[in-house]
Amino acid sequence: MNDKKWTTVVPTVIVLAVALSGCGERAVVDPQQQMGKEPVLPVAKNFLIPPMQVPKGVGWQGDAHPTVASGLKIEKIADGLKHPRQLMTLPNGDVLVVESNGPGTEPVTTPKQLLAGLIKSRSGKGAKGGNRITLLRKQASTGKWEQHVFLEHLNSPFGLQLIGQTLYVADTDKIMKYAYTVGADSITDAGSELADLPDTINHHWTKSLLASPDGKKLFVGVGSNSNITENGLAVEYRRAAILEVDVASGASRVFATGLRNPTGLQWEPQSGKLWAIVNERDEIGADLVPDYMTAVQDGGFYGWPYSYYGQHVDQRVQPQRPDMVQKAIKPDFALTSHVAPLGLLFYTGSNLPAMYRGGAFVSEHGSWDRSPLSGYEVSYVKFVDGRPTGQKLPVVTGFASSDEKSLFGAPVGLAQSADGALLIADDVGNAVWSVTASGQ
Amino acid sequence: MHPEISKRSSTSAAVVFDLLNPIPFGFFAGALIFDVIYARTADVLWIKSAAWLISIGLVFAIVPRLINLFRVWFPGSRRSTSREKAAFFVYLAGIAAAIVNAFVHSRDAYGAMPEGAWLSILTVTLLIAATVLVSLQQSHSYYDREQA
Repeated sequence: MNDKKWTTVVPTVIVLAVALSGCGERAVVDPQQQMGKEPVLPVAKNFLIPPMQVPKGVGWQGDAHPTVASGLKIEKIADGLKHPRQLMTLPNGDVLVVESNGPGTEPVTTPKQLLAGLIKSRSGKGAKGGNRITLLRKQASTGKWEQHVFLEHLNSPFGLQLIGQTLYVADTDKIMKYAYTVGADSITDAGSELADLPDTINHHWTKSLLASPDGKKLFVGVGSNSNITENGLAVEYRRAAILEVDVASGASRVFATGLRNPTGLQWEPQSGKLWAIVNERDEIGADLVPDYMTAVQDGGFYGWPYSYYGQHVDQRVQPQRPDMVQKAIKPDFALTSHVAPLGLLFYTGSNLPAMYRGGAFVSEHGSWDRSPLSGYEVSYVKFVDGRPTGQKLPVVTGFASSDEKSLFGAPVGLAQSADGALLIADDVGNAVWSVTASGQ
Repeated sequence: MHPEISKRSSTSAAVVFDLLNPIPFGFFAGALIFDVIYARTADVLWIKSAAWLISIGLVFAIVPRLINLFRVWFPGSRRSTSREKAAFFVYLAGIAAAIVNAFVHSRDAYGAMPEGAWLSILTVTLLIAATVLVSLQQSHSYYDREQA
């Protein structure tokens, strides 16, 4: 073959190969079509480089703050925190802030992890957590919130529950219990272990916690140890599941499975049912798979890893399990793709305008795996007779800059204050926000 | 350039080339074996290992490919043959396939299959073809010398 032919053919082939590779695409499905009971699900794709967009974490400058919907106002009640993830209001109105991040125990086992770690840490979401709990107390005279170090030296804590006079803290590896007296501004009890939790690898490290109304059980949300079984099925034992722990004995059983990363465990006040928000799988498209909120049944299987939204099979899982796919329950309400919900609150107060009563607030932490950005806001889903209905509405926005290049904050845990304000933990802005009705 | 320095640098380039040039092929062939095992067993140990082999193989390919590039396209007094040029492009195509394959291998779990295995086959085949072209070239020059 002559030289000229070679010099033209080969580079052409190379250029074509790269062009065909289809580097990360942008989302095409209207997010409005991925909300609710019947989300539009495009065909799954495999990529050379999955859709990716990570704004740079810059924090809030000066008096900058998130934007709220009309009829609401927002105020910063705490800042200078170390990666606040979760909030809980105590009976006397004090608010606990869990400052935490992943334990960093996931080993680098693929070349991809080397690069992905660098890209994701850009957003500030990878910052080191305080491994402690701070107590916020509102001063009656000034209305300012003072900060007290409440409990230190924890191991990537996330879930928090108070049953009677015992405080339960879900570290990434175990549930600890501590004696607590109402009005205390720190825990002096050394604490003891109630139950151990799955803690190998900790790809998803958060362990969310919810006590049953009678105080006899604790429900624990345990995320999967992979995006989609790339670490093998053996390490998924008792993961992607909600565990039920007996408070008296510490004995536990698997309550529900197939929930890739369940957090925000809450009781729906009308029906009394257990609800969770779930982060669905990545890397098969900017519009797949929508994250969701769902009522969780005892013994229910919700698809992960074998399928999503009922019977949509994920081809990346081997061996395939048609028997499990058959059993998969379709979740109740899609929250659109890659919004990364990490906080759920059924609002039962009366401070906020009537349109925000009786439904659920969802905080959307935002994901690296979508372009344009989605989430990075707190939204509201209306509930009627214990069932979600309509579209989710943006309530607190402006966590990312309008050009999508900078990230000021990212909403995580939600709580309701004693006077009915919506409290939001912000782990990029390292702050806690309080949303109340305006004109008060 | 001073002729002695030039001679010495080309000798060390030859040593570096001879040491490093076989390494990528070994890594890519290993990746192909691991891909076949993964395709049959779905045990993630093998696909993760294959991903490392491809990435490291590519790193080892950089220096010998640059030396080859200079040898083929800036040969100095000795003119490079069309076989050497063909081998250059075939090897280049093999590297391109390996780069695409590194990305395919970054997919999670069985998402890397079957494309990953096919690209490993393509990479290894192209590197064999390039090596055959070079070997033919060398045996020809040896034959030519014997005749003369």
